[in-house]
Amino acid sequence: MANPIPVEINHMKEKGLVRITWDDGHVGDYPRDYLRGYCPCASCQGHGGGIKFISVPDAKLAEISAVGNYAILFQWQDGHSTGIYTFEFLRALCPCPGCKESNPHAEK
Amino acid sequence: METVTRDLVLEALKKVEDPEIHRDIVSLGMVKDLEIANGKVAFTVELTTPACPLRERIHDDCKQALAGIEGITALDISFGAQVRGSKSGAGQTDLLPTVKNVVLVASGKGGVGKSTVAVNLAAALKMHGAATGLLDADIYGPSVPILMGIKEEPQKVSVNGGFKLAPPIAHNLPVMSIGFFLEPDQAVIWRGPMLGKALHQLMGDVHWGDLDYLVVDMPPGTGDVQITFSQQLKVSGAVLVATPQDVALADVIRAKSMFDKVMIPIIGIIENMSYFVCDGCGKRHEIFSRGGAQRAAERFKIPFLGEVPIIPSIREWGDKGVPIVVREPNSEVSKVFLQIASRLAGQLSVISETSRRAQSLKIISS
Repeated sequence: MANPIPVEINHMKEKGLVRITWDDGHVGDYPRDYLRGYCPCASCQGHGGGIKFISVPDAKLAEISAVGNYAILFQWQDGHSTGIYTFEFLRALCPCPGCKESNPHAEK
Repeated sequence: METVTRDLVLEALKKVEDPEIHRDIVSLGMVKDLEIANGKVAFTVELTTPACPLRERIHDDCKQALAGIEGITALDISFGAQVRGSKSGAGQTDLLPTVKNVVLVASGKGGVGKSTVAVNLAAALKMHGAATGLLDADIYGPSVPILMGIKEEPQKVSVNGGFKLAPPIAHNLPVMSIGFFLEPDQAVIWRGPMLGKALHQLMGDVHWGDLDYLVVDMPPGTGDVQITFSQQLKVSGAVLVATPQDVALADVIRAKSMFDKVMIPIIGIIENMSYFVCDGCGKRHEIFSRGGAQRAAERFKIPFLGEVPIIPSIREWGDKGVPIVVREPNSEVSKVFLQIASRLAGQLSVISETSRRAQSLKIISS
């Protein structure tokens, strides 16, 4: 079985979260601040290895677009637009209670 | 009264599987123009590529499936081909809406004969009867104009009120290359954004017309051109070209891991310079060792498309601007290329069934 890929990405503005539905049926709700904090781009993460959470409070999404066959680009209203989130990374980041335990990036 | 009915025939043909896609030919919509009159049954099987390697097998399977129906007095199965599209990439603009399949010919390292394989594959697909084009995306070392013997420049043509470039036609293939726009012996010294722009123009600003396959000769490695394709342009998949020795295979594995990462399907792997048959003694010499690419294919579960021998005439005619497949269509090496083209086309038909999966991403805001 191939790795899961998202079938729907729903920016729920009122709730301040992004709901991702995967082709294996899994659904995860990603708070905007959480997504922004885990931005994988080189200016957020540097080249030092492990993924860090960098808090950017009150992050607002400007646009969501697909990148190729493999990733999602989140553009933020403060102009930050270099984070290309691969499907694999997004899935590993899933904050739902079931995934959170095995999430290699979560620090809480 | 007619005892042989449409339903009976279609029901029986549902037992015939497309050997590559592994679904029955009726639900795949491959059975066309079914006519029944006085026990005479005639229909066309619309193959997914004119280069289909399995025509005879499908013919025999149909015959066998219908053998159980009483009252069939004659059977007439003809074959047609409708190449299916297999491009994927929810995030890319489709610069080539009239091109059904875009195949990247790639490798981890230079010097494996990628361009030679690309021009001969394109020529072989064309000989199988598929509308095929050739795009030289090797920005740093555009060798396709030489290998195809093209001297003229692309001409401007008016298309739908705008201007596009008409690609020169060589050996019945429309060909485009960055090399057409360079002075001889000039190098391209560009950073990523310029390369991306040039690629967009070579695809989108060119009047390709209706093509079943566009074969793209990639630069070696995992750099800017590869990133541009993976993020911005719709492609069907990549074919990896390798030479047999271990040190070359390490680079193939790197190329594979790049395509995996950006989720571009790998259509298969081709081993080039596999062996040399001495014209003096007839002995087969395995200069770069042998079978390495095949082992890599098995290890990574990638279809192995074939091995191309070292033959001086490939080089000789390449330098003169004639692909060997065109020059010596009945030679052993041309048969190898034609067979590889068939396998490639077959794998693309398989990919066209799965590529829909990646097309379905919806991005909404509520």
